[in-house]
Amino acid sequence: MTVQACGDYAIIGKPAPKKDAWIKVTGEAKYADDLFLAGMLHGKLLRSPHPHAKISHIDTSRAEKLAGVRAVITGKDFPGIKYGNMPQTRDYLPLALDKVRYIGDEVAAVAAIDEEVAEEALDLIRVEYEPLPAVFDAEEAMKPGAPQLHDHAANNMSAETAFQFGDVAKGFAESDYLQEDLFETQPVKQGMLEPHACIGQWDETGKITLWASKQSPYVVWKQLSMGLGIETSRIRVIQTYVGGGFSGGKQEAMPMDFCAVVLSKKCGRPVKFVHNMDEVLTIGHMRHPMKIWLRTGVKKDGTLLAQHLKIVADGGAYSSIGQLSMYLPGAMLNLPYRVPNVKYEAYRIFTNNGFCGALRGHTIPQVCFARDSQLDLIAEKLGLDPIDIRLKNGLRPGETTPNGFRIGTFGFAECVEKAMEASGWKEKRGKLPRYRGIGMGCGSLVSGARVMGHSASTAQVNVHEDGTVALVTGSTDVGQGADTVLSMIAAEVLGVGLEDIRFSLVDTDITPADPGTFSSRVTFWTGNAVKIAAEDARRQLAEIAAEKLKAQIDDDIVFRDRQVYVKSDPQRRLRFDELVRLAQHRQGKVIMGKGAYTSGEALIDFRTGYGNMSPAYTPSACVVEVEVDPQTGQVTVAGVWGAHDCGFPLNPMLVKGQVLGATVMGIGQALYENLLRVDGKVMNPSFRDYKMPLTEDMPRLANVGHVNVITNDPSGPFGAKEAGEGAAAGVIAAVANAVYNATGVRFRSLPFSPDKILFALKESDRKAPAR
Amino acid sequence: MGYLRRLPRFDYLAPRTVDEACSALAERRGDARLFAGGTDLVLQMKRREITPRAIIGLKGVASLSVIRSQAGGIAIGAMTTFGAIESSPLIREKHDFLCETAAGIGSPEIRAVATVGGNLSGALPCADFPAPLMTLGAIVRLRSVRGERALALEDFFMGFAETAAAPDEILTEIELPSRPGFSAGAYVKFHDRHAMDMTTTGVAAFVTWDRARGLIGDVRIALSVSGPVPLRVKNAEAALRGRRLTEEALVEAGLLACREAQPRASWRAREEFRRELIGVLTQRALRQAGEKARVAAERGNA
Ligand SMILES: Cc1cc2nc3c(=O)[nH]c(=O)nc-3n(C[C@H](O)[C@H](O)[C@H](O)COP(=O)(O)OP(=O)(O)OC[C@H]3O[C@@H](n4cnc5c(N)ncnc54)[C@H](O)[C@@H]3O)c2cc1C
Repeated sequence: MTVQACGDYAIIGKPAPKKDAWIKVTGEAKYADDLFLAGMLHGKLLRSPHPHAKISHIDTSRAEKLAGVRAVITGKDFPGIKYGNMPQTRDYLPLALDKVRYIGDEVAAVAAIDEEVAEEALDLIRVEYEPLPAVFDAEEAMKPGAPQLHDHAANNMSAETAFQFGDVAKGFAESDYLQEDLFETQPVKQGMLEPHACIGQWDETGKITLWASKQSPYVVWKQLSMGLGIETSRIRVIQTYVGGGFSGGKQEAMPMDFCAVVLSKKCGRPVKFVHNMDEVLTIGHMRHPMKIWLRTGVKKDGTLLAQHLKIVADGGAYSSIGQLSMYLPGAMLNLPYRVPNVKYEAYRIFTNNGFCGALRGHTIPQVCFARDSQLDLIAEKLGLDPIDIRLKNGLRPGETTPNGFRIGTFGFAECVEKAMEASGWKEKRGKLPRYRGIGMGCGSLVSGARVMGHSASTAQVNVHEDGTVALVTGSTDVGQGADTVLSMIAAEVLGVGLEDIRFSLVDTDITPADPGTFSSRVTFWTGNAVKIAAEDARRQLAEIAAEKLKAQIDDDIVFRDRQVYVKSDPQRRLRFDELVRLAQHRQGKVIMGKGAYTSGEALIDFRTGYGNMSPAYTPSACVVEVEVDPQTGQVTVAGVWGAHDCGFPLNPMLVKGQVLGATVMGIGQALYENLLRVDGKVMNPSFRDYKMPLTEDMPRLANVGHVNVITNDPSGPFGAKEAGEGAAAGVIAAVANAVYNATGVRFRSLPFSPDKILFALKESDRKAPAR
Repeated sequence: MGYLRRLPRFDYLAPRTVDEACSALAERRGDARLFAGGTDLVLQMKRREITPRAIIGLKGVASLSVIRSQAGGIAIGAMTTFGAIESSPLIREKHDFLCETAAGIGSPEIRAVATVGGNLSGALPCADFPAPLMTLGAIVRLRSVRGERALALEDFFMGFAETAAAPDEILTEIELPSRPGFSAGAYVKFHDRHAMDMTTTGVAAFVTWDRARGLIGDVRIALSVSGPVPLRVKNAEAALRGRRLTEEALVEAGLLACREAQPRASWRAREEFRRELIGVLTQRALRQAGEKARVAAERGNA
């Protein structure tokens, strides 16, 4: 695989700070909560205190009479249409009608002149509940006789997936060694710093406008239309700056959005909602906790022959995108290792907990944790080096996996080697003092998924007379740097400066439709659309320039440094802005480029699990070094080094930021984070008690390394692939393997808390005192 | 349910002197609360655990945030923030481990406002500062319109969020007696994260070295978050007096401390885990304090 930068770029490939960094650090950027509209009211949501109950009656009369209250609504103020992502998963209601299914389920909403009055009004709403038996454990919920959450879902089965590629029985029969383990993962929250917020307005003409912090505004637009029973033409969603997304609800229409617009209709005034952080941490959208059973068959030399994966996931009270959540672990078991025979069964079960969905990596980090932990177990049993077993089984470019993934560029082996080099693996492994250890974990991710529904991206490039460019897409910047990277692509093609490009926030009345920001698709998909759009604009300008400069258009007109010139005779040149004015003022032309990208792949068939999900796949490898305090069980991460194949780093500064951010989230899930629930009640709904790692929990910067593996993907914009999520996939297993290396104790259940480690060490000392 | 709410309505009183504060507290007896840094109080009010009609802000009472030397020791005003303790040359000179303990509380933002008086008066089991102060033999001064009294800190804590101070009394000062020669203290705590976290359990130790005999002279050990109130573990102390500072002695002290503690199980930590930690942290605190005192004695630095 060649490791060289393609082309001689002016902008691409160079580190550039995020375009919106300045307005964000100065506080100038307007987040949804910063917006004030004239006459605006404040909304609050009443939530269920019961994990499972029938609503027999709601009396809002006392709340309505409170001075300052303008309106109170319940589920009856909506048409009663369930909305959601896929036809089979539509089970959300804006407000509960007859039943609540978890502590935090929205039951009623109030609009008042200020937040204090709105809160006071919530206390005056009388809801008569008939509590129902509740179930909080997925396996309990599957049993006959368990409390049933949804009429349509027998045995609380929310989503079920089963597929097999190859012949697993034969694979196991031919294996020299079988390894079987049960792993368990915990509920983890996105931890975005900006809570959900919106302002809804229903004007006199019946036009509905929602200003909201959304990572996928078009999904919100469609879901509002669906749940309100109103055509999309009457709905407009305007995106505000997003303070972190991670699919923590900002990819969908939420109860607050519905309530804001319907309360606005009742009051004739705009209504704002902002969640408190404890609401954010209590309500839905978190990483699926799972029981993961994995059986693997290998030859003596470590060659993987077959894997059988079974998952039971606690989906919580609603579906979210459960069908996809259950497809992904089995599909991604095909990456980054070659497994000729794969069998997969997954059950997403409804329980009376907050509901689960996507979170950076979706359901992939959980399986990577299990699979890459188990690889180390197998290597140890067979006396193989953990690196060798990975390299031996790593997929190579050009292969097709049993489930139909077509592997294009794929620098897996280089990722493993670079991560080893950066971490000093050879000098450390086996040579560290007791209670210090080093481990590796690997993973893989898609560059955008082509699943059901809308998956294409489009872009418009409007060139202005002063030589600046308005770039309009339907994609959102959620902090990952889409504004900067997409602008860099346009600037590179048009030969202008990065600062000459304006990147707009999404407004569904104006910007082109786009499914939004998820599954690491924006740089690849929208980036390709932007590139095509910019090339379209350049072509239009090149024609005019060729005429003016008396060159053949084929002569290759060059656009660079805000100049346009003839390649063979650079003296024949024009300033870029002059050219635009010539086109617009003299020739009356509108210079507007259009571009669209869709990967042209067939849709995945969820029933068979077969198909090529993404136009490109990224492997990654991570090495973690830990020190374990044997007396307290506390793990200190002494170093992290990762290598990741992002195709080509369009902006190395942002790639590094993404990769390190993803890595920190992985460390958080491995060691600290856990949404603790007792009978469905979240015990730690604050950032003091829901423990995300802080700077003090991270290694010194000198012990943090990141290496880009460059493979120049031919189908990505300027060779780029995903960089936002993949790097997180292997981190948890790397921590698990490092802790094992340090202590000789294997942990299969997350998080690796001090209590768990301390008592496991005591237990192992009891069994083998003279280790 | 228990979501954080907006602050309830209240009157805000801003006395300038301790006398004014005492009068205000006496007048609004029963429905007023003193407000120091507010880092505990605001949360309790937002959770509606307490809803006082009046808040008496102590920030304007300048005399309460003074750290001074006095005959027989030092006095720390109740309104002294942890930030101020952390950087006080006087405290560093007399009891440097208090500076380190202060530096380990919350984050810089919290330390800029959270006060030692609030940490003691709130009497929450998770407070870090009572235990180290107890090992130093701290005395608390309480003032009210009825007069002034002093109380050993050890007798101050009555139960969860409950102190010996009457509702009309203000904690004004914490007095620390002079440090005996060849002595040193240490506070060691554990939490899941490496910083900015609720203490799972903490142990303070203060050791005075018997220079003549090369043994532990006096020793005091106090535990945080190991029972409803901060706790001296006197059996462990007794077992160490006159002993050499050996691993064996430390292990024994750790075991005794575990036995005297009454840690509770909660969703934050299992009882067994807390107990295990008390043993380990007792050893660590004693080792740190003991070594320091011993070295001081050997070097002759009182
Ligand atoms: C993020 C965060 C991290 C934290 N980390 C730590 C930590 O690491 N260690 C730790 O110990 N604590 C920690 N705390 C808790 C808190 O900051 C401390 O307990 C602090 O010392 C309380 O002091 P305050 O000045 O804010 O008190 P306040 O909240 O103002 O008052 C607390 C209580 O004491 C009463 N009171 C205050 N002053 C007096 C007085 N002079 N006389 C009589 N009564 C009085 C008040 O009426 C109130 O009931 C943390 C808190 C937060 C929010």
